[in-house]
Amino acid sequence: MSLEVAIEKQVSGFRLAVEFTADGAPVGLLGPSGSGKSMTLRAIAGLETPDRGRIVLHGRVLFDSARRINVPARARRVGLLFQHYALFPHLTVAENVAFGLRRLPGPERARRVGQQLAAAHLEELADRYPASLSGGEQQRVALGRALAVEPEALLLDEPFSALDTHLRGALERQLRETLGAYRGSTLFVSHNLEEAYRVCGELVVLARGSVAARGPKEEIFRHPPTLEVARLTGCKNFSRACRTAEGFVQALDWGCVLRVTQQFAKPPEHVAIRAHHIRLHAAAAPGRENVFPCWLAAITETPFRVTLDLRIGGPPSGPADFHVQAEVFKQEWDAFRNLPQPWQVELAPDRLFLLPD
Amino acid sequence: MNWQAIALSLKLAASVAGILLLVGMPIAYWVTFSRWRWKFLIEAVVALPLVLPPTVLGYYVLVGLGPRTFPGRLWQSWFGHTLPFTFGGLLIASVLYSLPFAVQPFSAGFETVDRGLIEASWTLGASRLGTFFRVILPLSAAGAITGTVLSFAHTIGEFGVVLMVGGNIPGVTRTVSIDIYDQVQAANYGAANRTAVLLLLFSFLVLSVIYGANRRALSLWRKR
Repeated sequence: MSLEVAIEKQVSGFRLAVEFTADGAPVGLLGPSGSGKSMTLRAIAGLETPDRGRIVLHGRVLFDSARRINVPARARRVGLLFQHYALFPHLTVAENVAFGLRRLPGPERARRVGQQLAAAHLEELADRYPASLSGGEQQRVALGRALAVEPEALLLDEPFSALDTHLRGALERQLRETLGAYRGSTLFVSHNLEEAYRVCGELVVLARGSVAARGPKEEIFRHPPTLEVARLTGCKNFSRACRTAEGFVQALDWGCVLRVTQQFAKPPEHVAIRAHHIRLHAAAAPGRENVFPCWLAAITETPFRVTLDLRIGGPPSGPADFHVQAEVFKQEWDAFRNLPQPWQVELAPDRLFLLPD
Repeated sequence: MNWQAIALSLKLAASVAGILLLVGMPIAYWVTFSRWRWKFLIEAVVALPLVLPPTVLGYYVLVGLGPRTFPGRLWQSWFGHTLPFTFGGLLIASVLYSLPFAVQPFSAGFETVDRGLIEASWTLGASRLGTFFRVILPLSAAGAITGTVLSFAHTIGEFGVVLMVGGNIPGVTRTVSIDIYDQVQAANYGAANRTAVLLLLFSFLVLSVIYGANRRALSLWRKR
């Protein structure tokens, strides 16, 4: 099973031009809102017509502008899980799941509906109407309805965005299980990178209508190809950089020279490090590299973690005057908070990554 | 009491409502979902009977279906008589006259259906026609009922168009409203009053029964 997409479409405000392939494992389509994720899904499902390009699902051409092929949505065999589920309010749960099975003989239809209801633990709700279901139940009905027709590709458009946070964990686990058993191609649209990381094997990162990065998720998180992708994958610390010697760069915005392990072909434009990769020491740490004195500018607390805004090389003039953000656990912070400044910040060479532009 | 006129009015109104259900639905569907840039021109044409004096509409139907035009001659060669001053002519004129009373509620009903539900239906393999009968129509039942009731009631009450196109032939084109007019002209106030009261009560009854049923039908699946 494979889904090949290469399409272009002029949308108000930007030009959508994406190209990627999805094989067996779920592919995450990641990007900020307005980057063209939903438009891409809608084009694959046949709800929008691209200006140009090709969409091929498992060898079957769904769209080809050169050959004037445009298979209508109803014949594409592409399942779409809508952001707000789009359940038919006048039909029961069972009738919703059976909606796409009209052409099957009665017993086969009943068998498939029963199978989907059982898989989604919905048997007891079979005769209820969507309005009386919780958000999570609605999502399961919508997924069962999409899978009942046995589509060759399944497209999920931000399936958790309409749910309360406390419901997401369990539903996400259930979704991962369902997708694990599903044999077609899966595209998972999200703007939440951690969610996409957990659900998908490969990622396609969209920015302003085009593909900014694509590949195995670990690779994209470890070595984002551009500044934009680094930002989208949650990296917070960047400095303009220039090469000083073999294996060293000067971080212009942070005012320090850093040893780096990453090889670079093109001269790097930026050096970056993730907030949770920064380490703090109370006093000078002999034997460690890239350790600099730092002062605290501001802190942001969450229940279990603390984000520290740090200034390297001298005390800050105010809470907005900082160079890097470090994320540490509460216990660590409690051990530090009363120690005299400066502390020592460590930007480990193998945690730093370089971005060409 | 002129039962003949009452029966004729009911027959005419029921026929008009039935025809408009069949003809008005496709027009309303097109008006609601078409993205054609000149669509508003068609919408304006459909709404014309709302503002035109019935005499103007009646005049054009009379001329347009008369023996001197192509459709008029065609009709005559098929059926052996001309359309004006027959029940058929009256029916055509009444359908045109009540068109906006059916199309606009139908269209307003379609408008309330979430586009996402229509798209969901398509991705689940339903055709456009299947989507119409399984998703759009059930979810816009209120508009369908309202449009049908309004075209029925509007036909019962029409006067000018009937007089222009149908004339005043007992049993063929003399409807209740014409009958009342005749009674009043003949200073027959008692008879006019009886018919008028009957018409008033009947209209009120039909409208309230159907609006009431309409509301219950809609709340059925929302409550469960």
